[in-house]
Amino acid sequence: MTEEATDLMDTARLWVVRASEPTFTLWDDFTAWLEADPAHLAAYETALEEDAWTGALLAQPEARALFRQDDEAPAAPSRRRWWAGGGALAASVAAAVALLTLHPFGANLVQIETAPGEHRTVVLADGSRVILNGGTRISYDADGEREMTLAHGEALFEIRHDASDPFVVMVDDTRLVDAGTVFNVVSGGDALEVGVAEGAVIYQGADEPVHLHPGDVLKRDSAHGPVRLTRADPQSVGSWNEGVLHFDNATLAEVAEDLERAAGRPVRAGAGVGGLRYTGTLAVDGPAETVMARAAPLLGVTIRDDGEHWEMTLRNASPR
Amino acid sequence: MRESDRLPGASGPATCGRGMASSTMTGEQPVTALQSVLLVERARLLRFLGARGAAEEAEDLLHELWQRVAAPPRQPIADPLSYLFRAAENMMRDVRRSQASRARRQFEWHEVAVAPEELPVGERALIARERLREVQAALAALGPRVELVFRRCRLEGVSQIVAARDIGVSLSSVEKDLQKAHRALAGLKAKFDAE
Repeated sequence: MTEEATDLMDTARLWVVRASEPTFTLWDDFTAWLEADPAHLAAYETALEEDAWTGALLAQPEARALFRQDDEAPAAPSRRRWWAGGGALAASVAAAVALLTLHPFGANLVQIETAPGEHRTVVLADGSRVILNGGTRISYDADGEREMTLAHGEALFEIRHDASDPFVVMVDDTRLVDAGTVFNVVSGGDALEVGVAEGAVIYQGADEPVHLHPGDVLKRDSAHGPVRLTRADPQSVGSWNEGVLHFDNATLAEVAEDLERAAGRPVRAGAGVGGLRYTGTLAVDGPAETVMARAAPLLGVTIRDDGEHWEMTLRNASPR
Repeated sequence: MRESDRLPGASGPATCGRGMASSTMTGEQPVTALQSVLLVERARLLRFLGARGAAEEAEDLLHELWQRVAAPPRQPIADPLSYLFRAAENMMRDVRRSQASRARRQFEWHEVAVAPEELPVGERALIARERLREVQAALAALGPRVELVFRRCRLEGVSQIVAARDIGVSLSSVEKDLQKAHRALAGLKAKFDAE
């Protein structure tokens, strides 16, 4: 290949990389580049084929396993490199990076914790994905990945279903058994909320098991309290992962908790605010200031930054 | 259920040719926000579709796009124009893919007569594994950051902007890292294809 052709392919690959990012906006520049020479479109199509080839390669279960060895398997020597790199970077970046530790005792217990405001995707050996919202901690045994403990926070589980070896999420003494594919779990204190997007989940608490189907949302306020069943749009389950929160008659105290996971700092519902209710959608992508500025008028409150917290106050309340 | 399934009949009143604006005004469906952006930016979108290789089908594709955005979006869209460009890009990819698979089917039809020996499953898995190892080695040779960026963006599905923020580098250096990784993988693809 001539040097010119090599350069052209490189430019085409850069356009593929750029255009695959959801926030890409340079469509007119891209158009102009394509129009500049008929060879550009052909190069772009070739780069797309390469990209599809790479995608197919990575979709094989072996790919997950191979790359995972580098990252999370305790014995792999190269794991240290990732870890050291991550540590150094964490120090240089203001936003805390997820903590991945291997317990010195016990089996290969993997603990993953996200800082508030941080999302992280954990890919398991079989290709199942667990997407962690901010302020969340999970742990699992690297040798037995079909059971995971959610210590606190919120996670969206996209599980490759295996009827002979169902995936289980433990929240305290409660077992959530995957009988399908995609479900979201929020745990804080003793409260628990489970939403199902696809497939089915079996909730095994103290009482009779409850079968949850797409659109079912199970809520429990305390460890041994009664469970309530409500309905939600299955597509909205786990939508925090796309930067959108849906609320259906939620108290502002609940809204504050969800905003906190997205915003990276505690969000408090001030006097007289926590009991108010909200139904609607909040976009939580972008900087926390923007998120709060957008949310406040929708929630009908004032959201003030006191340096440590975001505080929601009644709109007419005088500042203290 | 997908948005398109809820359209009140695929043969709705909206047409997207030259008379698009007038026919929508007389149509029964209200014009959605995305559709009004499409109307205003019609020329830019058509130019893009043309540059992307749509040729005389550009108008038809824009019509299809018009119908796709006839239902209000389920979630708020931050940048409607980019949304439309992206949808147009995806349509071009779909067109290309269906052309390619049609060509492949015809090709395979000829191949059937020859009945090529299939490799045993075990052997194929072995080759796949060996190739993956080569891929991994090629990426590792580019240095830990390129490898990290590639893994985050391509394997874990993290967006480039998030990866850039997590790693503490600019978006353009993440783009260049991915470009390097893809260049190396293209080299391997050419090698494997020749084997």
